[in-house]
Amino acid sequence: MTPVSRRSSLILVAALWAAIPVLGSDPSIEIDIKAGKTRPIALAGYSPEVERILSFDLRVVGFEVVRSGANLELRGGAGPDVQGTLTEGGTARFSRAYPGGGLRSQAHALADDVVKEILHIPGIARTRIAFRRFTGGRSERGDRISEIVVSDYDGANQVAVTSDNNVALAPAWVPGRLALYYTSYRSRYPDIYSHDLTTGSRTIFAQFPGLNTSAAISPDGRRVAMILSKTGHPNLWVGDAGGGAPQQLTKSLEMEASPCWSPDGRTICFTSTAEGKAALFTVSPAGGAMRRLSTGGILNCTEPDWSPDGRFIAFTRASGEFSLYLVPAAGGAATDLRTPGEDPSWSPNSRTLIFTRGRDQQRRLSLLDVQTGHVEDVPGTTGNCSQPSWAR
Amino acid sequence: MSRLKRSGIFALIFSALLAAGCAHKPKNITDLPHGSAPAPTPPPDYGATQPPIRPNPNNAGNTGTGVGPGNVFNPRDNTHANDLGGQNNPGNQQVVVPAPIDTTAQDPSLGQRPPPGVEDRETLKGDTVYFDYDKSAIKNSEYAKVGAVAEYIKGHPESNLIVEGHCDERGTEEYNRALGERRALAIRERLVNLGVRSDKITTISYGKDRPVPGAEGHNDDSWSKNRRGEFVIEAQSPSLK
Repeated sequence: MTPVSRRSSLILVAALWAAIPVLGSDPSIEIDIKAGKTRPIALAGYSPEVERILSFDLRVVGFEVVRSGANLELRGGAGPDVQGTLTEGGTARFSRAYPGGGLRSQAHALADDVVKEILHIPGIARTRIAFRRFTGGRSERGDRISEIVVSDYDGANQVAVTSDNNVALAPAWVPGRLALYYTSYRSRYPDIYSHDLTTGSRTIFAQFPGLNTSAAISPDGRRVAMILSKTGHPNLWVGDAGGGAPQQLTKSLEMEASPCWSPDGRTICFTSTAEGKAALFTVSPAGGAMRRLSTGGILNCTEPDWSPDGRFIAFTRASGEFSLYLVPAAGGAATDLRTPGEDPSWSPNSRTLIFTRGRDQQRRLSLLDVQTGHVEDVPGTTGNCSQPSWAR
Repeated sequence: MSRLKRSGIFALIFSALLAAGCAHKPKNITDLPHGSAPAPTPPPDYGATQPPIRPNPNNAGNTGTGVGPGNVFNPRDNTHANDLGGQNNPGNQQVVVPAPIDTTAQDPSLGQRPPPGVEDRETLKGDTVYFDYDKSAIKNSEYAKVGAVAEYIKGHPESNLIVEGHCDERGTEEYNRALGERRALAIRERLVNLGVRSDKITTISYGKDRPVPGAEGHNDDSWSKNRRGEFVIEAQSPSLK
């Protein structure tokens, strides 16, 4: 799509939005999604392995890696450790060496420094993800086995967190900690587990009658939002991470699903069919009425995730095909990211979305750079992986 | 939105549409934030009035028996464990093992999970209930089946019933897990209204994880076969009665 027609359709969205009075929307937010240009950068003087890692890290955040002729150049040096001299138009921006750790972490650290220097944001090259992987086997009950896997954001260093030969899914990180919550059917019933990754110790966090799933942990790590059906309908509940009876936050006679927290911990956003087709709603974790979050007429909205900078909520539009959308956190016109896929999860720097792409048994994880629209599959996740969660 | 503001926006859009015919540089990209997310506000004080945590005697898993350990995650390179200045620091934190959630305060109307018995998927197989797309209401055409199941369970007081809820592939994973549960609960509600004891019925949703073998096409025929509620009888062995 040419920049002109893309801009015209964005303007059309804005015109439609202006014609519909929307309470609580912020007209001053300009979303210039996927109109940013990729920036060329030349790499030189790196071994093939290091260049591959650097190149991936830079492409993911919207650089175009070229052989020569770019204003930006990153040059390596002699010696076993990774070094980088970044020049812009011939002027050195920095020159650093990265001793210690392995080659992979050195290369990631260099990529992060380039991102910091040029894009002025923290990089994501040394972050981690958790996801669901179908192993291809069948459990004793005949279910398709799926386990929880943790890896680097680029799919390297994958470690299976579960090996129950059962069905585990929906991993959610505890913010700032090496700990996960997830759902597992190993008891035959869907229960929520909390799992300390440093010790391997885990407990069943919620095993009420009916459904226990979709755990989402508050930014301070102290509360867990989840979907429980123990009073007869799948509703939103919140419980203390330390234990005790949970509080019921929604009482609709329909269903709620997939909660997420605002970065200030004051609001939970989730999906509900209380008003017909699936739409986004918010509620305070302290209780009170749930409120519809306007998405400018877009319906079948599921799996919201709130950006760490608080500004946007990404979600899946499930109208036949699955596709990714953004809406300002206060509600308003939803922007089509023109990216087929589902279940987005924000990077810690609010620039990249990891999501699930594909269908059937060929689903894999993929990374969308929201500013430029660049999409890059996560290597090593083609073995039917889904439900990625980005550690923050 | 005030009329003045709206007409101002229309004027902007009109002139932008005029300008759109010419190729020029993109608008300024939205500024990305520097630094970290705002500090979280302290949560409401749950601690003061919480009941003491008591392990549920029926809950064999909470103290570790029957749960089994999960796997340990060992960061390969300790030097990069604490990167990004606190934005992502998965290494070397204090070990915190969360206490189990109190499951004693629960609605007695939703049945306890039945003790394991002899599982029978065959007897009520013909009564599988089918649903419309994205719906959990029981259709008129399905009432007779639910009635037959009710009669069976009422006539076999030694049996417990599990209602399994399923969806077709067209919803996302967690949405479908809730929808499958909604379907199973709708069936359960009707069974209870027909006189089945509520503590005899448990629900399990599988979302879209368990398509019917042979019905995995991307077409109405397969989809309609997967939007279902299935009945599993858990018969107690005589010695446990």
